[in-house]
Amino acid sequence: MMLNVGNILKRIDIRWLVTPVIILASAFVTNAIIMLLCNYNPLEAYQAAVSGAFGNTRKFGETLVKSTPFLMAGLSVAMAFRCGIWNIGAEGQFLMGALAATWFGTKLAPLFPETPWIAVPMSLGMATLAGGIWGLIPAVLKVTRGVNEVISTIMLNYVALHLVSMMIDGGPLQEASQRGPQSDRIAEWVFLPRLFPPHRIHFGIVIAVVLAIILTFILFRTAFGYQLRAVGEGAAAAEAAGISIMHNTLRVFFISGALAGLGGAIELTALTRRLYLNFSPGYGYTAIAVALLAKLNPLVTVAAALLFGALSTGSYGMQRTVGISDKVTFVMQATILLFVIGYGSIQLFRKRESSHS
Amino acid sequence: MEKENILELRNVTKTFGDFVAVDSVDFTLQAGEIHAILGENGAGKSTLMNLIYGLYQPSTGRIYVTDREGWRRRLRAKSPRDAIVAGIGMVHQHFMLVENLTVAENIALSLGQLKGKQKDGREGWKNGRMDAPQSSNLPRLLSSLPVFQSFWFKKEDAIHITEALSEQFGLAVDPSALVRTLSVGLKQRVEILKALAVDARILILDEPTAVLSPQEVEGFFTILRKLQADGRAIIFISHKMKEVLSISDRITVLRRGKKVYLGPTGELTARELAREMIGEEINEVERSGDAPLENKTSDSVLQLSNLTVRGSRDEIAVSDVSMATHRGEIVGIAGVDGNGQRELAEAIMGLRHSESGAISILGTDPKGTKAVRQHGVGYIPEDRQTTGVIASFSVTENLLLNVTHLENIAHWNVVNQTRKRNTTEQLIADYDIRPPIGGLPAAALSGGNQQKIVLAREISLQPELLIAVNPTRGLDVNAAHYVHENLLAQRDEKKSVLLISTELDEVLLLSDRLFVMSRGKLIEATAQRNDIEALGLLMTGETHRDLSDGLET
Repeated sequence: MMLNVGNILKRIDIRWLVTPVIILASAFVTNAIIMLLCNYNPLEAYQAAVSGAFGNTRKFGETLVKSTPFLMAGLSVAMAFRCGIWNIGAEGQFLMGALAATWFGTKLAPLFPETPWIAVPMSLGMATLAGGIWGLIPAVLKVTRGVNEVISTIMLNYVALHLVSMMIDGGPLQEASQRGPQSDRIAEWVFLPRLFPPHRIHFGIVIAVVLAIILTFILFRTAFGYQLRAVGEGAAAAEAAGISIMHNTLRVFFISGALAGLGGAIELTALTRRLYLNFSPGYGYTAIAVALLAKLNPLVTVAAALLFGALSTGSYGMQRTVGISDKVTFVMQATILLFVIGYGSIQLFRKRESSHS
Repeated sequence: MEKENILELRNVTKTFGDFVAVDSVDFTLQAGEIHAILGENGAGKSTLMNLIYGLYQPSTGRIYVTDREGWRRRLRAKSPRDAIVAGIGMVHQHFMLVENLTVAENIALSLGQLKGKQKDGREGWKNGRMDAPQSSNLPRLLSSLPVFQSFWFKKEDAIHITEALSEQFGLAVDPSALVRTLSVGLKQRVEILKALAVDARILILDEPTAVLSPQEVEGFFTILRKLQADGRAIIFISHKMKEVLSISDRITVLRRGKKVYLGPTGELTARELAREMIGEEINEVERSGDAPLENKTSDSVLQLSNLTVRGSRDEIAVSDVSMATHRGEIVGIAGVDGNGQRELAEAIMGLRHSESGAISILGTDPKGTKAVRQHGVGYIPEDRQTTGVIASFSVTENLLLNVTHLENIAHWNVVNQTRKRNTTEQLIADYDIRPPIGGLPAAALSGGNQQKIVLAREISLQPELLIAVNPTRGLDVNAAHYVHENLLAQRDEKKSVLLISTELDEVLLLSDRLFVMSRGKLIEATAQRNDIEALGLLMTGETHRDLSDGLET
């Protein structure tokens, strides 16, 4: 058998890399200017950031840990957007997953004492289901009443947020001592195992990456994924082909919500192990930038999530080594977000316009 | 007495790239006349009106307007705003109303268009005489009422204007009613009031009766006569011969961008006008590859009984249609665009809910598009760009855009890559899709090759019934010929084809049986296939009875 090198080369297309590179370059240049204005040396700062994020195995591991929620929520957003569903509700779905895992870990886990092989899958499964069902609410509203999902998902984020605070601040899930607005620690046998204790690298990272691979396969190699993309790229053509827009909307909303919910449960059972106010510093929103930067490709989302993980560990590095205040690092993160969203949405809208004309 | 020309187009040409939409057209409009413009789809009627209304600018030629003070000027409208200032109003076929505002607010909005023009009302009049009084371009009503003279919107003023207008022209409408609660006829009335509010001297009405019921048409004509008596000139665009003959003073006929006839109403009979519209050349078309009739089995494939379908604006688009198609025949449906053809096709495909009646495909009643597809129905949709292909999908992916194809190449939902490649490469070769690169996005292909993708996808599944809507629209002669060959091949394979097309010669060339669709009604016209005039009349809304009446007189 002869390998056709030409054919293989033809199939490797690196044009998709151009946009992310432009986005990152412009963000870094802008941030350098910001740092100069604040009297910091940008080169030193970037060096500190890189070493903070990738300097040694421990730091790199921490970057991976930070990347995981971005990855899970990013996958959630990417799947929905692929189907033309503008799910801005990953934040709420993430919280609902965490809430379900907390409920299981604090209230139901004692029914399965010392049985991680049952309790861990069950807590993750319940969280997945909770996120999926939370995602189905806007889906049902959309297909039955035509409610715009952007609005309903944003509003449901607040509902989820306040549901969480209701449950842990005076509600049934508040810690037994009633000291603060947080839950009890979940039972030890519900902990998602850490791979190299005492380091925080955990099994959830593996789950997330494997999911990214599976979702890529589903999107590009299965009839289901094909139909989902067809609805996203050309709803009228898909409908005429016999693809049900309603079914795909319901399915993708469930999947999207489930992924975010699972992300919340992973974060909770592997790291925080208890639910508290501000459990998510906006993972679900940042995930939109993550998914857009990755051009809605689940595999590329791994890289985009890693970048956002590195941004947060890198800014610790900058704070510690160069003494840049955390305010400035927040500004820098926001700048990157703006560039990502700016470029990403321009491209997305161009695509929609051209498919409409 | 020679009447004054209030609007004059001299040798106006409009080209889009290589395409000549309006070709050296002369046109005059006299004060106080109703001038009808007749023409088939694509004859250039809309382009001509858009040139007058400032939506397009002529490639060559000049437009002259006489203003309210009687000065004749060259009109160089860069936008509808300039045309409005010049006293030209247009009522679009699809209303330009804000549904969630009241009638008065909508009318106030149209006044707002003039707001910036109060000081420099001469923008549209670059070559005009400068000695006329400044106020001449301002609508009288606007200068008399303070509604837009202040920063604040005064609801009472808007209502007052609306009432004054309604009364002046006898167009009764409730100023505080929300537009979305109004009937189509009333909405149209609001559109006309909008034009009158800015004191339009020239009213362009684009297919105004298309959305009206016969009763509403009568009332509408009364309004037109009233406006005419008020000295306003009206350009009336229509496909409907009867209406044109009953309301207009003069008629201009356009065919393929050219003016082919201008004369007073009554000079030509309806039949002669239809001939002017459609032209003679189609008589020369020879029908090829006719299958012997005895080959046709009597099995019906598609059976429609008393089908009624509502359109997107909730109007009755398909009205009580009954018909059947059989194996081994092409059934053609001719007609002017917008007479329910699209809705009929969508209803059969399960893409549109049918109000009443039954659709039976091979004796079954499939629910939903997927089921219709699985019963062996192929579909070449009207709108290739949005419904036929997905522009951003690759050629390969587009070739699979049909649930039946997907089922064939997927096992347990996983797409078999070998089978996918084999299927699509074969189709690309068989249907000569160029360039033959499966990975290319469909957007990169020409219209003809995109249509080949659709044909390949739909025909390769050997559908029992193929529904083709305007399958050659926008294609060059060779590509169109290729499509025709494929449709005929389907018939020769003893399949059933339903061809819905606005191209009359295409329908005549291919059909074994022929229908005309007009205002949602389907009229069998196989017997009239050699009588172009009769077909033209059926397409413009006449019935068989009208035809026979006309023959007697």
